[in-house]
Amino acid sequence: MQISARYLENTTIFDVIGDIDLANSPVVRKALLVELREKKIPRVIMNLQGVKYIDSSGIASLVEGLKASRDVQARFILFGLSKSAREVLQLSRLIKLFEIYENEEQALSNGSS
Amino acid sequence: MPRRQLLLRLQLLSNPQVLCGVRGAVSPIASSVGFGEEDCRAITLAVDEAIANIIRHAYGGKLGQAIEVQLNLLNGENGAKPGLEIILLDRGAEPKPDALKGLPAGELRSGGLGLHFMRQSMDTVVHKRVGSTNRLYMVKFVR
Repeated sequence: MQISARYLENTTIFDVIGDIDLANSPVVRKALLVELREKKIPRVIMNLQGVKYIDSSGIASLVEGLKASRDVQARFILFGLSKSAREVLQLSRLIKLFEIYENEEQALSNGSS
Repeated sequence: MPRRQLLLRLQLLSNPQVLCGVRGAVSPIASSVGFGEEDCRAITLAVDEAIANIIRHAYGGKLGQAIEVQLNLLNGENGAKPGLEIILLDRGAEPKPDALKGLPAGELRSGGLGLHFMRQSMDTVVHKRVGSTNRLYMVKFVR
């Protein structure tokens, strides 16, 4: 899995490529918590277009990101969910708690910080 | 034709890095049995979660411990549809009774979803302790 960051005004976009599972979900978790809790970035967006598989540990990382965003009054947004990722998020019954868009344009325009 | 046919036996060592390899093996086998794409994803998720649980809980995160995964074809009798039986064996700690209940999905918490995913993905999920071995049986039939 690869994760890289792009920085816009008051926004960090994480581009994730690969599977998010027990092996690498800690990397995702750490990246999110650094942006939200340490750097206090007002809006953090996860580009998941390149994520074909995510398991419960990956979902747990996203949940931790969501919790951190609520704690610091930041926005935490997902976009580009694959069919597989959407299914897993629906299975967790947590999908309605996340702010999710189809693409980056929608994420940036609708999820204003 | 035998009722149960061994399709694949994997001898693994506990390490999160093996999960992608196991997923790569399970999905096409599920497809060859006759499962559709969505069910193949579900089966793959269940196996992934089961192994992750063994690594994290049975072995407490310790690397290099033995895990065995068996995939058995269950031949449909009298026109019944076939199924896939997945057996996972480990020699780690016995799960506590509360751990087998799983946690309710839908709550905003960062853990406890794995067992829920397994039960939602498979028709049957049963854990047994035989001596010092944990045996997890998961079965799913083609719809």
